[in-house]
Amino acid sequence: MEEAKKVRIGIIGLGKLGILHTGLVNMIPRAELAGLADINRQLAKYIQQSGLKAPFFSDLGQMLGEVPLDAAIVCTPASANLGIAEKCIQAGLDVFIEKPLAHTFEAAKRIAALVSQKEVVHATGYLFAHMGLFKKAKSLLEANVIGAVHRFRSSMYTSEVFGRKKGWVYDRSQSGGGVVINVASHLLYLLHWYFGPVRSVFAQAKNIYLDVEDAASVIFECGRDVVGSLDTSWSVPGYRLPYIDVRVEGDNGTLELNNDYIKLYLYKSQKGFAKEWTTIYKIDLPVTSKFELGAEGLYEEDQDFVDCCLDRTSPAVTWQDGLEVQRLIEAIYRSAEGRAVVGLEEVE
Amino acid sequence: MTMGLEKLILGSNAFEGVSYISRTQALHYMEHFAKEDNIVAILEAANSLGVRAFMCSNCPNIMAALQKFPKAGELSLLPVIPNAYEYAMEASEKGVLGAVLTKAKGFSMYQKVRLGLRALTKIKSVISKDVLDLLLELIHFELAGFEKYKLGGVVLHGQVTDLALSSGNPHILTIFQDLVRDSYEVEPILATHNFGVLLPQLIEWKIKIPVLGPLNQKGFMMRPSKDECEKLVEESGYTIIAKKVLAGGRLTPEEAFPYFQGKKVESFVCGIGSVPEAYHTFSVAKSFLKI
Ligand SMILES: NC(=O)c1ccc[n+]([C@@H]2O[C@H](COP(=O)([O-])OP(=O)(O)OC[C@H]3O[C@@H](n4cnc5c(N)ncnc54)[C@H](O)[C@@H]3O)[C@@H](O)[C@H]2O)c1
Repeated sequence: MEEAKKVRIGIIGLGKLGILHTGLVNMIPRAELAGLADINRQLAKYIQQSGLKAPFFSDLGQMLGEVPLDAAIVCTPASANLGIAEKCIQAGLDVFIEKPLAHTFEAAKRIAALVSQKEVVHATGYLFAHMGLFKKAKSLLEANVIGAVHRFRSSMYTSEVFGRKKGWVYDRSQSGGGVVINVASHLLYLLHWYFGPVRSVFAQAKNIYLDVEDAASVIFECGRDVVGSLDTSWSVPGYRLPYIDVRVEGDNGTLELNNDYIKLYLYKSQKGFAKEWTTIYKIDLPVTSKFELGAEGLYEEDQDFVDCCLDRTSPAVTWQDGLEVQRLIEAIYRSAEGRAVVGLEEVE
Repeated sequence: MTMGLEKLILGSNAFEGVSYISRTQALHYMEHFAKEDNIVAILEAANSLGVRAFMCSNCPNIMAALQKFPKAGELSLLPVIPNAYEYAMEASEKGVLGAVLTKAKGFSMYQKVRLGLRALTKIKSVISKDVLDLLLELIHFELAGFEKYKLGGVVLHGQVTDLALSSGNPHILTIFQDLVRDSYEVEPILATHNFGVLLPQLIEWKIKIPVLGPLNQKGFMMRPSKDECEKLVEESGYTIIAKKVLAGGRLTPEEAFPYFQGKKVESFVCGIGSVPEAYHTFSVAKSFLKI
């Protein structure tokens, strides 16, 4: 019997996320880890003994020239994404890029433009799209369980920066900014997914320890008369991991969503949900992934990309979605800088 | 054969501020257990019910509690290494390799020889000296704080086990196994979040080692499925230690423990968030498990 076709994947950038993706790809039956690239040559000896069978290259061009590949997963600092995406697209690959799409809106636009005329499968690593609880909240909002939405309040906090920090994440030229682009971009994706398109933002940002923003507050105006807010910081104690909280008010009640549960309060029973309180814990949702490494959703995210490469369909989060989040990030930075409301249509 | 593995093991998730229920609970744990006396109170309660095994990481509040606990010498400690959370935090500044190399430096030649000599002969055929040295240094670094206590086993963190599993790397697991058995003379244990995927692979790799995985009546974190995990518990013949027994707090002990009656589970790790919870959980566990 002919063996089912496998997607041959090259992973570019073997840091925290790249290492996880190598493991995940190895566990997806219809994917084959075919090549590994990182500019850090020191990694070669450790990679060779890690058990991974794919060859290691410190030069991406060499990998693309020597290894037959179908797709690439890019896990480099955001400022490297454009150059790498150009090479991968030129080599005819389908491409997954870890979030954010790029370090600047300009670079993100150029990345998205690479695929506008091509039949390429492209994905951005906004992981929340693949997490069970967040998918459940999306389905509840879509089913109008709380009725027409008026307003949302959201936050994302983590305890990470309490003094000067080294590393590319904290360097604007490589990451594009601070807590907004590095951490809260996940929440911005969620807000875009749930309430988008956003029409305008008003933002204030605060540098406390670093040259990039450590905290920010944003007011949104969305379509369908929805207004909302976001508050974020990576400099508050008590959050060992990033924690999100979204509270949505609608005609028929409220929906509260965080890392652990969804809590509904309904004025009248709707779509099988009782009047007043219902709590849906993450723990109570069925296990949907066959494997987990690093974080919930990562396996599903890679599985979705692989499936789309095989079926020639569109992943849950495309580069276009990545670009829309980047537009929001840019609007937030411009608003904070200019201390004025910024319309999203101005960011182009 | 697992020697001296206790049936009931106190877990340390709550002491590290981990909750699967709510942020409010996590915050309460963080604040409450920042004071080592509150951890000591739970160690006391567990001890008074005959629970003498404690699985924990080397977090400062836990190490401080062990210093203060008068009966720490009676405990059988099961350190979980490495402290993955600390590495992840450091890696955001130094990169993954940078974080690992920083931890490993400052380890004397004497210690290396003492720890590695016997294991070395078995291992050097599969791994270069550089990488072996690094592993030795890391394992010793992680266990250094526990040296004055009695070890009941050493647990490899689930992230590392699952990474080795997904990289198709049996060597890292056998090296861990050999080093812990030869140098520390206790049982190595593999923690995992992928119990039903790991076990068949260990069987294929012919690595016989105790496995610590999520097992509970709800199926919480039981991958790839509850059925497959249950079948492996029944048929694999491995020493199995259950964690997430109370499904992250969604099951009461009365709901959780009957599930294990007649199941081939050797030991149970239970995270405890308060003194009354310690009495409740462990006494219900003892009555259902007939300890
Ligand atoms: N989805 C998530 O939850 C999540 C979490 C953290 C990071 N990320 C994203 O993943 C990406 C990688 O982050 P990380 O934390 O793994 O970073 P990291 O610093 O741990 O790793 C980056 C790796 O890329 C390599 N690299 C740098 N420039 C390169 C180039 N031009 N070509 C090839 N390799 C290069 C570095 O040597 C390093 O090994 C970033 O875009 C980040 O924003 C996503």
